[in-house]
Amino acid sequence: MQKKSFFVALFLSCALLFTGCSTENKSDKTVVFADAGWDSIQIHNAIAGYILEKGFDFTWSQVTGSTAITYQALIDGEIDVYMEVWTDNLAPYEDDVASGAFEEYGVNYDDNAQGYYVPRYVIEGDPARGIQALAPNLKTVADLKKYPHVFKDDENAGKGRIYGAIPGWEIDNILFKKYNHYGLDENFIYFRPGSEAALAGVLTSAYEKGEPIVGYYWEPTWLLAKYDFVLLEDEPYDEDTFQNGETEFPAVRVTIAARSDFDEDYPDAAAFLKKYKTDSALNSEMLLHMQDTGDDAIETSIWFLKQHTDLLDNWLTETQAQRVKTALESE
Amino acid sequence: MDWLFKFPFTSKLDLESIDRVIRDFSIQNKVFFDGIKSGLTAMINFLYMILAWFPWWVYLILVFILGYSIKRSWKTGLMFSAALFLIGYFGVWDLMLITLSIVLTSVFLSVVFGFPTGILMAFSNRIHSILRPILDTMQTMPVFVYLIPAVMFFGLGKAPAVLATTIYAIVPIIRLTNLGIRQVEEEVVEAAKAFGSTSIQTLIKVQIPQAKETILTGLNQTLMMAMAMVVTSSMIGAGGLGMEVLISVNRIEMGRGLVSGLAVVIVAILLDRLSQGLAKGKEKPE
Repeated sequence: MQKKSFFVALFLSCALLFTGCSTENKSDKTVVFADAGWDSIQIHNAIAGYILEKGFDFTWSQVTGSTAITYQALIDGEIDVYMEVWTDNLAPYEDDVASGAFEEYGVNYDDNAQGYYVPRYVIEGDPARGIQALAPNLKTVADLKKYPHVFKDDENAGKGRIYGAIPGWEIDNILFKKYNHYGLDENFIYFRPGSEAALAGVLTSAYEKGEPIVGYYWEPTWLLAKYDFVLLEDEPYDEDTFQNGETEFPAVRVTIAARSDFDEDYPDAAAFLKKYKTDSALNSEMLLHMQDTGDDAIETSIWFLKQHTDLLDNWLTETQAQRVKTALESE
Repeated sequence: MDWLFKFPFTSKLDLESIDRVIRDFSIQNKVFFDGIKSGLTAMINFLYMILAWFPWWVYLILVFILGYSIKRSWKTGLMFSAALFLIGYFGVWDLMLITLSIVLTSVFLSVVFGFPTGILMAFSNRIHSILRPILDTMQTMPVFVYLIPAVMFFGLGKAPAVLATTIYAIVPIIRLTNLGIRQVEEEVVEAAKAFGSTSIQTLIKVQIPQAKETILTGLNQTLMMAMAMVVTSSMIGAGGLGMEVLISVNRIEMGRGLVSGLAVVIVAILLDRLSQGLAKGKEKPE
């Protein structure tokens, strides 16, 4: 009796296995995207994935990991396409491009602001929420020096706290030099928040509570699209002195990269990816949509493509664009 | 037939309302959470001050003496001090002290709350059956899930790190205190009672001493688990050795990561051997 039920179970599991196989996709053209964990890269993956699926008959998937891990996987060729390489955050990037470890396809966007942000109510107050302007004359990073008592650090009495960049990011070094350059080290603590989630968490909760806070952040992000933060001004950008933290930040080049022989394997798809380009405003728009509606990356990507069908004409040949548009109409 | 292979229904939970509740709760109880935070911060800073007050060589000598007294062998003592010497040599001595102050505060809190809880659990099957799933949750719930609410409540820094570490590390001391007391033989307890001891007297003079070894194993496990949280707590800005690991991993600097990782290992091994040795060493004279 026992034996019989064992064979029945075996048969059933085989049957399940085979049905599993038959539903596999027929297409053998696949592309693997890097999912480094933040929203905008997932949306870009979904957008590019959707276009490759409908216009080029690809199937697509993502590999999730930290920035460092996925970057290494791109070099090893396990990941085909990286839609958002934050070049400033990866120390070995320039060398790796030069040595051909992977190929840079182009710039996804490079008009994004970054730097030290404070909530607008710290400078201007917010009568609706009953918040007084605690630092009415705060305009530039150098002005911070006058307000350590506003942004006070709970762990070190008498000092202020500046939330810096994620430890290990290239920008972290420069922010730290800036902190020394303006003499903020006298009455401020430079606090490394440890992870993006933690930094976003502390900025959001401070904003919701109406507390003063100053911290490094960057655009495009849902956080800065949703909450009213002001970027503190700095000296105009200069390439030489910027590295010493003396000037404002240039925009980060956020590039699209692919494993080194991807364009030999799939020249059509590579041609599309080389033309793929967005800007900071478009990114803010999709991130805010995602945050407000609770849609996932794939739903957001379809919503976004419907809003901006003109982008398809820039990125694709006429017939390809037409195929994607037809597919979009039935969504 | 589709429902045979795919789960037939799913519901979209109203997750946003959970977010809202947490957010509102943190805003309404701001004073309360700020109070806890400043208390914790004061504790950690105080401990750090004490740790940093002693010069480095005091620690080397102390570790040597402790190592010697555990094994009665000067080789062990020398090996322990050499390992500790390496940490200074790597240039991460100060970071180690920060890490230690966070870890030891968490262990202290774990003992203060965990030990009585374990005793309660041992005496009441009802409490036991209620607490068990809670303890399982504390041990297996991915840390990041409650790390972000912790940031909402306590901001970034050492206080939320100690809290997250305590939640994770308190479990073994509760479990093993409970186990140890339950394992004390019935006859021994009966005998104590027969001689007229009250329950409290039985607990303090018979059950806890009998369960000592198990409880100390629990303490040792708590210590180890607190060390295991070092890197995670750096993700909410706790600083120390974990931050060094985090920086090097994010920068893909393998050498630097290895050195700071090794420092974490050395501290963990030393704490483990010394606490184990102390637990056993005190048994011998009896």
